[in-house]
Amino acid sequence: MPAKDYAPIDQNWLEDAGNLWTTPWVDKPSERVIVDPIILSHAASLFRKNAGYFYQNPDEAVRMVCAACELYDVTPVGHYLYADYWGLDYGAEIKMQTNSPPGITKRPIKTAEDVDNFEVLGTDELVKGPTLTTHYKALDTVLEEYPKMFAPITQLGGTMEVATNWAAIEDVFMWMITEPEVVDKLCTKAGDHMVNACRATAERYGANVMITGSVIASGDLMDREQIKRFSFQPVSRAVRKVLNAGAGPGVYYHLCGNHTDDFEMWKDAPMSPFTIMQIGYDGQNIFPTSKLVENFGDRCTCFGTVDTKIVDRGTPAQVYEQARDQVIAGKDSPRGFILGTACECPTNAPPVNVHALVKAAKDFGKYEKF
Amino acid sequence: MDIKITEELDNLLKDNGMKKEEIQEMIDNAESSETKLEARDGDISIAKGVSDNLTMYAVYSPSELVNVYAHKMKILGLTGGELDDIEYDDTSDWVCAKCGEIALERNVDMTYMGVTRPGPGIVCPKCNEFYISDGVAKTLKTAESILEEKRA
Repeated sequence: MPAKDYAPIDQNWLEDAGNLWTTPWVDKPSERVIVDPIILSHAASLFRKNAGYFYQNPDEAVRMVCAACELYDVTPVGHYLYADYWGLDYGAEIKMQTNSPPGITKRPIKTAEDVDNFEVLGTDELVKGPTLTTHYKALDTVLEEYPKMFAPITQLGGTMEVATNWAAIEDVFMWMITEPEVVDKLCTKAGDHMVNACRATAERYGANVMITGSVIASGDLMDREQIKRFSFQPVSRAVRKVLNAGAGPGVYYHLCGNHTDDFEMWKDAPMSPFTIMQIGYDGQNIFPTSKLVENFGDRCTCFGTVDTKIVDRGTPAQVYEQARDQVIAGKDSPRGFILGTACECPTNAPPVNVHALVKAAKDFGKYEKF
Repeated sequence: MDIKITEELDNLLKDNGMKKEEIQEMIDNAESSETKLEARDGDISIAKGVSDNLTMYAVYSPSELVNVYAHKMKILGLTGGELDDIEYDDTSDWVCAKCGEIALERNVDMTYMGVTRPGPGIVCPKCNEFYISDGVAKTLKTAESILEEKRA
């Protein structure tokens, strides 16, 4: 739908939501905890569109996201993250899919020798590439049509996410065992790529929020030493370089999956004044917000989570109950708190479940510290 | 120690409301007290001057001023309070001139307009002196602008 077909955003709502969103960053008092369910292609489902449509139409995608933010009364930010994590820029082939993000069908790195010869693209080349072209089309739309909902985000994933879009995951995991130094090289290159991409966004918009972390590199697939070597260390190096290049100030650590064995090392990850720490799971259970606040609350803004499986397939009562427990445990975290989902809001999550998440924040997320 | 200041840097000083005399004094203090960072692979040094509202840095060689920058966020100390071992290579490109220790890249707590948050600092593990790189100062400038807008 073109812009004219969307109802205007209620400016009173936008001002109120903006105030709630500001609190975790600058300690400015507001009424209650803000909710960020990480809405991406879920917004498309509200318009009877699918994930494929969302990723092929970035301008429409962000309009749908902005409308969804108002509908649910959540973080007023026009999120858009192009989903192939930079594969196309380096020669991967992708397949657009109807009900899920684009899938990579052919990767540019096939052998260990390919890793040696692989060259990271510079900032200027990335700006012209398919990922940032698509991404900036979305961000420019927000800037032009919803300027108060604009945030200059660069979606990177961690080094393992970038690496496994350049080389097949089965090859990377095999090298991890047989030739780990090959994966070191690959992850170093992924880190260099992350720095260049962040510089591109910072140069274009004057600031940048980098979304990074450790998704594939979780305890479900890798042990602690592997996570340290191939994720924590190269990601930390990359974040340092980004901040040293003036390409901040936002850093969002998204630790998806199970991080029971490695979460503590992330306490020392490089941080800026605007840093979020989000951890998905502790074993098979949702990561307790009490544990998150205990370890990170005196360092950065904590992002407490509700299990996306419950948001997708549970009942509103289950969502409400878990959200209640998490928001009570986190709302007065010293350096700010946001309530959200463990990962992206599932595309076809029932809207009543997202509503239940927000309702819990309204019912139990009133600040006591101000 | 007399430092040559190029026209370009002179303009930068003016743009930032800094005086040549302040910078010269900062460098002289750093040289006499050895409270400065020295590059591990060259003859570049960083001196700092801390006042109530501003921390200024001068990057200089034995003959000329290379860069100046500043931040308003005040450094309070190490984030988390202790210099614990961490699990990545945090050695910086700088050495503390006073004690000879390699400075470490660590998060430091910084405060501005009543808000305290972390930022990436350069820390002498022995002297407990804290510095900020020129690139991070750019990041802090953006952060300070956001705080000024939102806390006003």
